[in-house]
Amino acid sequence: MSEPSIFFSDVNERQGSFLRRTFVVGGLTALGVTALTVRLAQLQVVQAQEYATLASQNQFNFRLVPPPRGRILDRNGVVIAGNRPSFRVLVVRDETKDLDQTLDLLGQLLPDTVDRRRAIIRDVNAAPRFAPVPVKSDLTWEEFAKVNIYANELPGVMADMNEARFYPYGGSFAHVIGYVAKVSDRDIAAVRDRGEEVPQLLYNPGFRIGRSGVERALDEDLRGVEGGNRVEVDARGRVVAEDVGGSRPATPGKDVVLTLDADIQNRALEVFGEEAGSCVVMDVRNGDILAMVSAPSFDPNLFVSGVPGPIYRAWADYERRPLTDKAINGVFAPGSTFKPVTGLAALIRGANPDRRIHCGGAFYLGRRFACHATHGSQDMREAIKNSCNVYFMTLAVEVGPDAIADVARTMGFGQTFDLGIGNQNAGLVPDREWRRQNPVRGDGRWYPGETPSYGIGQGALTVNALQLAVYTSRLANGRKAVQPRLIKSIGGEEQSVPGGDRDLPYSPEMLAVLRDGMNRVTDVGGTGFRNSQLGLGAVRMAGKTGTAQTRNYGSGARRSNVWSQKDHNLFIAYAPIDNPRYAVSVIVQHGGLGGGTAGAPRAREVMRVALLKDPEIRQRIEQSGFAETEDPGSHEANALGAAEPAQVDARPAPAASTGPRPYLSEPPE
Amino acid sequence: MTASALTRPGERDRLSTKITELDWRLVALLCVVAFTGTAMLYSIAGGEWQPWAMDHLTRFGAMLVVMLGLAMLHPKWWFRAAYPLYAVLLLLVLMIEFTPLGYVAGGARNWLNLGFIRIQPAEFMKLGLVLALARWYHNQTAQEARWSWKLIIPVAMIGVPFLLVAKQPDLGSAMIIGLTGAAVMFVAGLSWKVIAAGGIAAVVTIPPFVMFGMHDYQRNRVLTFLSPESDPTGTGYNIIQSKIALGSGGVLGRGYGLGSQSQLEFLPERQTDFIFSTVAEEFGFVGSFGLLACYVAIILISLRIASTAHSHFARVSAAGMTAFFALFVLINGAMVMGLAPVVGVPMPLLSYGGSSMMTVMLGFALVLSTRVHRYAELPKGYGLI
Repeated sequence: MSEPSIFFSDVNERQGSFLRRTFVVGGLTALGVTALTVRLAQLQVVQAQEYATLASQNQFNFRLVPPPRGRILDRNGVVIAGNRPSFRVLVVRDETKDLDQTLDLLGQLLPDTVDRRRAIIRDVNAAPRFAPVPVKSDLTWEEFAKVNIYANELPGVMADMNEARFYPYGGSFAHVIGYVAKVSDRDIAAVRDRGEEVPQLLYNPGFRIGRSGVERALDEDLRGVEGGNRVEVDARGRVVAEDVGGSRPATPGKDVVLTLDADIQNRALEVFGEEAGSCVVMDVRNGDILAMVSAPSFDPNLFVSGVPGPIYRAWADYERRPLTDKAINGVFAPGSTFKPVTGLAALIRGANPDRRIHCGGAFYLGRRFACHATHGSQDMREAIKNSCNVYFMTLAVEVGPDAIADVARTMGFGQTFDLGIGNQNAGLVPDREWRRQNPVRGDGRWYPGETPSYGIGQGALTVNALQLAVYTSRLANGRKAVQPRLIKSIGGEEQSVPGGDRDLPYSPEMLAVLRDGMNRVTDVGGTGFRNSQLGLGAVRMAGKTGTAQTRNYGSGARRSNVWSQKDHNLFIAYAPIDNPRYAVSVIVQHGGLGGGTAGAPRAREVMRVALLKDPEIRQRIEQSGFAETEDPGSHEANALGAAEPAQVDARPAPAASTGPRPYLSEPPE
Repeated sequence: MTASALTRPGERDRLSTKITELDWRLVALLCVVAFTGTAMLYSIAGGEWQPWAMDHLTRFGAMLVVMLGLAMLHPKWWFRAAYPLYAVLLLLVLMIEFTPLGYVAGGARNWLNLGFIRIQPAEFMKLGLVLALARWYHNQTAQEARWSWKLIIPVAMIGVPFLLVAKQPDLGSAMIIGLTGAAVMFVAGLSWKVIAAGGIAAVVTIPPFVMFGMHDYQRNRVLTFLSPESDPTGTGYNIIQSKIALGSGGVLGRGYGLGSQSQLEFLPERQTDFIFSTVAEEFGFVGSFGLLACYVAIILISLRIASTAHSHFARVSAAGMTAFFALFVLINGAMVMGLAPVVGVPMPLLSYGGSSMMTVMLGFALVLSTRVHRYAELPKGYGLI
C-alpha cells in the first residue's frame, strides 16, 4: 500500500461531504418515488373507475347491425316491396399480397372492375388496411360462384351477402309505394333541421331511405331499429373477437299492408299500354283503394342502387311524365263526369228530376255554348245518359257556382285525403269567393258566362283520379261519405281513416236518380254503351264518360292528332249496378275522342278483374250462367276476358320490366 | 468468512471471500425486476416467448454472469480503464456523427454499426462518463471539488458527449448524460451556491430552448406533455393510453395476460418505454407499487454500498452509477404516469432492449465490485498512465 498522499483532514472533509451528499441523493430518490407512488394511487385507486371505462371504450366497439326493412304487402299478403339477397365482393388490403395482382385476377372474373380499377384502388387505399372495401355489389349468382371458386387464388378478396330492396312488380306500384335510395346529405340535413339527432343507421353504407310514396311516408316504421354487435378490437381497429356479450339484435322494420290488390293494380297499369293517365279503383262500401296507378310508370328497382344518368334523364324529359304520380298529383278538368254534381246541386235545391229541358244543340248566355248533339227534350236521367251540355248548363246557371262548389266538395273534390302518403294535389273547386281572390279582370266578380262551363266540368275546375274515385264511390253507395284508405295495417295494427263512416247530407233518393242516369249511360243508346259491357252476365257496370278540353276550340282546327293537343279522356264507373261494390275512375291523358273511347274500355277491364276476384260476385256470375260469355260487341273483350280467370287464380309472375305493355286498342267501328 | 477491517491480509483477495462479500440482496432484487420484465414481455406477446421474453431473459442471464465476474475485479482496474474507456466511447459517438457507420433509427442518428455488432454508444457513454468523472475527482481536494477553475474539466467531460448526443438528436440520452454528470458533481461536493445558481440558470434558459432550440418532434413532446388532451390521436396518444392502462389496472390489476390496453396494442411502445404501464395494468396498484419498492431498495442498497467504500474513486463512481439508475427509474416512471414529457428513457431491467440492459448491468458490476472491495485504497495519482 502506498502512502496516503492527501492530508487526513481533507480526506475526512471529502468523505464527510460525500456522505452528506449521498444522503441527499437517497432522500431525493425517496421523495421522487413517493411522488410517483402518490401519482399511482391517484390513477389506480382514486380514478380507477374512470380509466376502466376509458379502457373498455378502447377495447369494445359496437358494430352496427342493420335491420331488415319492413315489407310492403298487398291486401292479400302478396309482397310488393321486399328484400332480396345481394351479393358483394369486398377486398381487404391487409390480406392481399399484392393489390395490383389481386385486381388483375379479379378483373378476369369480373370484367367490369377493370374499368373502375383506378377508383377501386383509391377506395381501398383510403380505407383502413384491414377494413373490407366493397368493390362490386349486385353480383349475379354466376359471378358470386366464380369468386368463391377462385377464393384460394384471391387472398384478401371475399364475397358476402347483404339485403337490398326489391320491387317484384316493377312499375306497377312505383308511384304508390315509391322507392328507396341512398341517403343524401340533404336527408341528413333534413333530420338536423328538425332538431333531431341523426341516427347512426343513416351513415351505414348499405342503408336506403324511403324517397317517395309509402316508402317515404312510413319510412320510420319500415326502417326498424339497428342492432349492435359488441366486438373486441385492437388498437388498429381489427376485430379480435366477435359478439363478446352485450350485443343487441336488430329489430326488423314493421310490415306494412296496403289496401291495394296486386292483380287489379297490375291490370290497371297494363291496360294503359303506352298511354299516359291514371286509374283508381275503390271499394265503395269502405273506401279501400284497391288500385291506384299512374301511367306510364318507371322501374323503382333502379333507384335502389342509383339510377344511371341517361335513364333518369330519359324519364325526366319524356313528355308523358313517368315520374309524376298522376293519380293523386296530376289534376285535370273532370269534363262531363262532373255533370252528376251539377244535377245533385239542383236536386237538393228542389229541382224536379222529371223536369224536361229542350236541347236545341246549343245553350245561349251572352254567347253560344255548343252541345255535341241536338238532344231535344229530356229529363235529368236522359241528360246524364246523353251527356247533354245544355241540360246541365241550364241547371248550373239556375243554382249558381257556390251551390255547385258546395256539392263538389261534399262529394270529395277540392281536397286532399288522409291517405298516409303525401304528394297530393287538391285540385281546384272554384266559387265566387275563390274568384274574388283570383280575379281575371280586376274586379274579381264571378261572370255569369263562367257558370255554364262549370256545370259541365270545364273552366277552372280541376280534379284528380283519386277524387273522381271517391266521388264515384259516394254516388254508388248512396249513403256514406266514404274516405279513401290506402294503409291497411302497420306492423299488424289495423289503420282506420277518421270520419270514414259519416253519412252524406243528401237523401238517397236524389242519389238514386243520378245512379239511374249513369246506369243508362252504359245501356243501349248511352254514351258509354259500346265499351262498357263487362260480359259478366247479370253483373253490369254503370258509368259516366267525360272529355276535358285541353285548349280552346274557339277558332281554327277542332281536332288534332298531336298527342299533347288531344283532349283528356275520362271515365268513372261502378259495378254491379244493383248493389255497387267497386268504383273505378280512369283518366287517359290526351286520350282522344269522347270518354267512351279511351276511358271506358280501360275501366271495364280493370272492373272485370275486381269483380272476378270478389267471391260473392263471382258466384253470382256463375249462377247467372254467363260466367265466361263474351261480350258480343267487342273482339277485344274476348281476347282479354278469356285470359282473365286464369290470371286471377294464379297470381301473375313478378313483372320483369316495366316497359310499355301491349294494349289492344278499340277496333274501329 | 465475512470480511471486515480486521480481516487478515490476503484473506480478502481470495475468490471465495469475495463471493461471500457480494451483496446477494442486491443481486436478488435485480433478478426480481428482470424476471418481472420477462414475465411482462411474455404476457404482451400473447403468451409467447418470442419475440421479446426469451431475448430479454437470455441477455439478463448473460449479463448476470458478466456482472458477477466483473464484481471480482479490483477497483484499480476500473480506475485504470476509466479514461481510455471514456476516450473510446467518445470516439464512437463521434463516429456516429462523422462516419457512415452511424445510422438512423426512430428519428435519431444514435446507432453505430460496427459490422459485427450494432450498438448505441450513448448508452455506454453514461458508464464511461461516471468512471472518468470519478477518476478525476479522486485526485481533487474537497475545496477543488467545491468550487475552482478546475471544474472546467468535469464540465467539459460532461458537456462534450451531452452536446454530441443531443445533436443526434437523442434528447432522452443527452438528458441522462447531463443529469448523471450533474449528480456525480453533486455527490463529489459541488458548492450549494453553484447548484442554486445552476438551477436558476436552467429555469431561465429551458423555456427559450424548448421554443427555439428543439426539433419539432421534441417540442411537440414537451408541449403535448403540458396538455396531452389537446391532441389525443397524435402526440398525446401515448400519454393518454398509458394513463388509461395505469388507471384501469385499479388496485389489484386486471390479471396477468388480461390487460386490454397492452394486449390489444392500444399502449404504444409497450415492450420498451411503456412496459411499466403494462405491469401496472395487469397487477394494479399493488404490483406497480411493489415494483417501485424493489427499485427503491436497489437504489438505497447501492447508495449504502457507495458510502462504505474507502477510496474516493469507488464511492463517487458507485454513487454516480446509482444516480444514473435512479434517474432512469424516476424519469421513466414520471413519463408513463404523465408527469414528464415522453422522452425515450426505458425502465431499467424491465424494458426490452440490449444496450440499456448491458449498461445497467455493467453499472451494477461496478457497484458490486465496490462492495466486494470496499476496503481497497487507491492512492492519489494512482495509475495515471
